[in-house]
Amino acid sequence: MKRVATYIASIIILLFLWEIASLAVDAIYQSRFLPGPYEAFSQVVKNAAELQRHFFASAARLLLAMLIALVIALPLGLLIGHERILDRFISPMIYITYPIPQVAFILFLFLVFGTGNATKVVIVALVLFFQILVSARGAAKNIDEEYLTSVRSAGATHWQLYWHVILPASLPDILTSTRVSIGLGIAFLYIAETSAALGTGLGTFIKTRMLFAREQAFAGIVAMAILGLVLYVVIELLEHLLCRWKFVRQRPV
Amino acid sequence: MIEVTALAIDYGRGVRTVRAVEEIDFQLEGGRSVALIGPSGCGKTSILFALAGLIPSSAGTIAIGGNHVTAPRREVALILQNAGLLPWKTVWQNANLSLLLSGEYPHRNAGAILEDLGLGEVKSRFPAELSEGMKRRVGIARALSTAPSVMLMDEPLASLDTLTRERIQDLFLTLWREHRFSLVLVTHDIEEAAFLGQEILVLTERPARIKATVSNPEVGPLDFRECEAFQVTVNALREALER
Repeated sequence: MKRVATYIASIIILLFLWEIASLAVDAIYQSRFLPGPYEAFSQVVKNAAELQRHFFASAARLLLAMLIALVIALPLGLLIGHERILDRFISPMIYITYPIPQVAFILFLFLVFGTGNATKVVIVALVLFFQILVSARGAAKNIDEEYLTSVRSAGATHWQLYWHVILPASLPDILTSTRVSIGLGIAFLYIAETSAALGTGLGTFIKTRMLFAREQAFAGIVAMAILGLVLYVVIELLEHLLCRWKFVRQRPV
Repeated sequence: MIEVTALAIDYGRGVRTVRAVEEIDFQLEGGRSVALIGPSGCGKTSILFALAGLIPSSAGTIAIGGNHVTAPRREVALILQNAGLLPWKTVWQNANLSLLLSGEYPHRNAGAILEDLGLGEVKSRFPAELSEGMKRRVGIARALSTAPSVMLMDEPLASLDTLTRERIQDLFLTLWREHRFSLVLVTHDIEEAAFLGQEILVLTERPARIKATVSNPEVGPLDFRECEAFQVTVNALREALER
């Protein structure tokens, strides 16, 4: 309960700071320039139906991208982290390609996958892929040797070792890095949604309105923030559910 | 029966090869106990891991019950320094892990053993919610769950306070007498070796070799620590280690 209260208080303070910034900017430009929270939120309500459509289009892309990235990067990262031979061959490739800004490929991806949904999902998946891959590899590499020895001595097969030790030991790190990558994912989603074939999506909504209906554009930004927040909370809940052992408190016996 | 003949273990390859263990010979009849004692880092754990089938020997042979050991075997259980519990599994899941891996769970489970060891109330807890002594008992429950004929222990009590350590040593002794498994204990604690080992092999610095064998036939009673024979063994071990 206390956590929820501080959460809400923190959001109220943020809105308050936004209002002050808005008033300050307006004073400098001598006109309504930066929409304040009240205007933005009333635009959210006014454009609810349309925003909803764009919101769900963006949410679907982001979720799909996340899922694709997890399905590929998680097992691959665990494998590289645990199998030394693979690590030696694949890790150099990762460290060379990792620092390349994936957005540099965006035009190329549009050429390959067209300007529709596919590219928008692929670019976000690509960004998240590297985040998850690197954290999964790191987590699998740093597993306490005693856990592995303990399970091996009980006659575990290779597959059982992954299922009972490597995956559960790495999961907290992987979920955390997925959670903190949401912001990055949304940023790339915005770029993808505004770079070609304007259709649905919050990115499109914001871009097309920023010049002539700024309050609406800010309503779109609010919607994007909500999208990020919801995903963040969902993954946090997932962490508590799947990694319950991380959150137990030491009890007096 | 465990037979170790001219065992040597190397780590690394080529010019960087390091010899951890050499010329280890010993035999252990079924149901008896042996303690391996030596300085930290001398290679005693390597001997135990080779017995468990976790690392290959570089020379010599290890046979348990007439079979050459090349991989972990069902009738051999290993208890590690920190009990080897997986933090993401509950007490129940940890205790049943060996049975689960071999496919025997849930037809067979560690329920009765957990009750015997006084862990019936904490089955659904995670290791982080247990005291150190309780963690050891969960590790013991897991090791006993498959009814092994050989129990290997790698400094199982190193990080415990004295009182808890003695209590768990008493438990080991009771279980050993009750279940009649062969016990191989690796330790650097002189009193632990003297309390649990019917025979005690004193090892040299790395590479580990047997430099003395101390016979300790009166092991068995729980009040052995107060006996004169215990003091005699402790003194003999101290002398052998310092030599």
